[in-house]
Amino acid sequence: MANPQAIVDKLKMSDKIDPAVKFYTIKKSKNFVGNAFYYFVLLSLAFIFLYPLLYMVSKSLMQTWDVADATVRWIPHELNFHNYRVAFTEMKYWQGFSNSMIISFGSALLQIVSCSMIGYGFARYRFPLYGVWFVLLIFTFLVPPQTIVVPLYMFFSDLGWINTHLPFIVPAAFGHGLQGALFILIFIQFYRRMPAVLEEAARIDGAGAFRTYWQIMFPLGRPAMITVFLFSVVWHWNDNFQPSLYLRLPPFYNLAQRMNGFYGKATMTAEQMSSSVSSGAIGMAPTVLNQMMAGVVLSVIPILILYLFVQRYFVESVERAGIAGE
Amino acid sequence: MKFKMNMRMRHILEGYSFISLWIVGFLAFMAVPLGRSIYYSFQNLSPSKSGLIADYVGTQHFRAAFTVDVQFLPLLQSTFTNMLTHVPLVLIFSMASALLLNRSFRGRMVFRGIFFLPVIIASGSTLKKLMEQGAANLPIFMDYDLYSTLRLFIPSDLLMNLLEYADALTIVMWDAGVQTLIFLAGLQTISPALYEAAKCDGATKWESFWKITFPMIMPMILVNTLFTMVSSFTRADNGVMDYINQRVFADNDYGYASALGWIYFVLIFIMIGIVFLLFRRSLSSMEGR
Repeated sequence: MANPQAIVDKLKMSDKIDPAVKFYTIKKSKNFVGNAFYYFVLLSLAFIFLYPLLYMVSKSLMQTWDVADATVRWIPHELNFHNYRVAFTEMKYWQGFSNSMIISFGSALLQIVSCSMIGYGFARYRFPLYGVWFVLLIFTFLVPPQTIVVPLYMFFSDLGWINTHLPFIVPAAFGHGLQGALFILIFIQFYRRMPAVLEEAARIDGAGAFRTYWQIMFPLGRPAMITVFLFSVVWHWNDNFQPSLYLRLPPFYNLAQRMNGFYGKATMTAEQMSSSVSSGAIGMAPTVLNQMMAGVVLSVIPILILYLFVQRYFVESVERAGIAGE
Repeated sequence: MKFKMNMRMRHILEGYSFISLWIVGFLAFMAVPLGRSIYYSFQNLSPSKSGLIADYVGTQHFRAAFTVDVQFLPLLQSTFTNMLTHVPLVLIFSMASALLLNRSFRGRMVFRGIFFLPVIIASGSTLKKLMEQGAANLPIFMDYDLYSTLRLFIPSDLLMNLLEYADALTIVMWDAGVQTLIFLAGLQTISPALYEAAKCDGATKWESFWKITFPMIMPMILVNTLFTMVSSFTRADNGVMDYINQRVFADNDYGYASALGWIYFVLIFIMIGIVFLLFRRSLSSMEGR
C-alpha cells in the first residue's frame, strides 16, 4: 500500500478528475458554447410545450379577419375580448364550471382520503390473501373502462344516478374512480418508505391503529397527497369519456363537454360583417375559430391557475413521494 | 401462545379494515360489472319497458366481430400499430427531457413548470379540440414561412416529410409529461457517489449513462411502458373506444359492445403480458445482485 509510485499516480489522476459536481452543474464561464447549446435545447422544447397555450390565447384574442389573414400569426391587430363574452354566455360557463368543480374537487378530495387509507393498509399490513388483493389492484389499473362501460352504465342508471355527480363521487370515496388504482399505488410506495419508528412510538403511547394512522401517518403523507390531488383534479377536469356517459342532459354537462360542443356562434353582427369586408377578407367563410379558442381557454383557466399555485410543491412532492416506486 | 395469536389476529383485522373500503368498491365497481359484461357478451340484449330482455346467442357476437364487422378489425389494427410506434417514442423523449431537467441550472424550476404544462393542457378534450384544426395534428412546423425558408436548403419532397414528422413528434412530446416526471423522480434516487466512483475509474459520461443510469431506472422504464400503453389504449381519440361507445349509445347494441370490449381487453392483456416477460429478465437480474 505504501508504494510511493502508486500514490503519485493516484495524485496525477485525481488532478484530471473534476469534482462529481460537474455531472450536475454546468461550469459557468469555461463552457460557454455548451451552455448556450443547452439553453437553446431547453428553450426550443419549452416553446413546443407552451405552443398549445400560446396558440389558443393568441387566436382567442383575434378578430375574425385576423384569423383569416395570413400575415397575422401571433399578435392580433387589436385585442378582441368579445370572443370571451360570446363563449362565456354560449357555454353557460358558470353552470359548467360548478359541475366541473364538484366533480373534480369532490372526487379528488375523496380519493385522497380513501386512497391514502387503502395505500397505508397495503403498505404496512400483511394478511391472508394479501397477494391476491394486490394483484387485483394492479388488475383494476389495467382494465380499460370500455370493457365494463355497459354494466356500469346500467348499474348507475338503475340507481337513478344518471345526470348526477354520484357516478364520479361515490367510486372515488371507495378508492376507485378515475385512476384510483394508480393513486393507491402512489400512496403504497410513499408509506413503504416511511420509517416505522413514529408508528411504534404512537402505539407504545397507547394509540390504536386508526388513531396512529389518522393523526400521524395521514398528515405526513402530504407530498403524496399533493401529487394525487393535482393529477386527480386535472384528469377529472379534462376527462370527456365518463361525463359523456353519465351526464346526458345539457344542464348537467361539465366544462369539458361544453367546450367540446362549442364551435362558436357563426352569426356575425352587421358591424362585424362590414368591417370584415373592408379589411379585404371577402369570400372567406366566416370562421369562428377565435370564439372556439376562447372557449378552450376559458375551460382550462381554472386548472391552469391551480397549477400555478401548486406547481412548486408539485414537482418537489413527486420527487419525495416516489411516484415511480423502487 | 394465546396472546401471540391475538396479536396476529388483530394485525390481520386491522389490515383488512384499512383495505375493506377498497374491497367493497372493487366488488361494486369492478368485479360485478366485469361479470355482468361477460354475461352480456353472450346475449342479445334488447331494451324494453320492463328493462333489458336477454336472449342467449352463444359466441355469435365474438364471431361477428371478426367476420361480419368491417370496421372493428381495421380500428383494432390501427390502435395497436399506433401504440407500437408511440410507446418507444414517448419513452425516449421523456427520458431525454428528464435527463435535461435533472441537472441544476438557472431557471430550473421555471423550465420544470413549463415541461409539465402539457399534462394540464394537452390532455383529453382540450387536445382533441385543438387537433380539430389541423387534420391529425397541430401544424407547428408545417408552416408556410418555415417551409419556404428551408426549401432553399433541403429538397422540397424530403422537407415536406420532415416537417410532417416533426409535427407528429410534438404530439408525442405533449404526451410525455407524466413519464418525464416518473423518470425525473427515478433519477433523483440515484446516489451521486456512483457517478463519482465511475468517474474515478475513468468512465466517460456515455459509459456511466449505460452502466449506471440505465440499469438503475429500469423499474421506472417498466412503469412508464405500462403507463404509456394503458393511457394510449384509453385515450380520448382512440378509435376502438369511440366505436364501442357508438355501439352502446347510438345502436343500443349492448351485447355486441360488451363482446367488443372483452376482445379489446384480452388483446391489451396479452400485450401487457409480453411487456412483463420482456422486462422480467432485466428486473430479476437486478434483484439478484
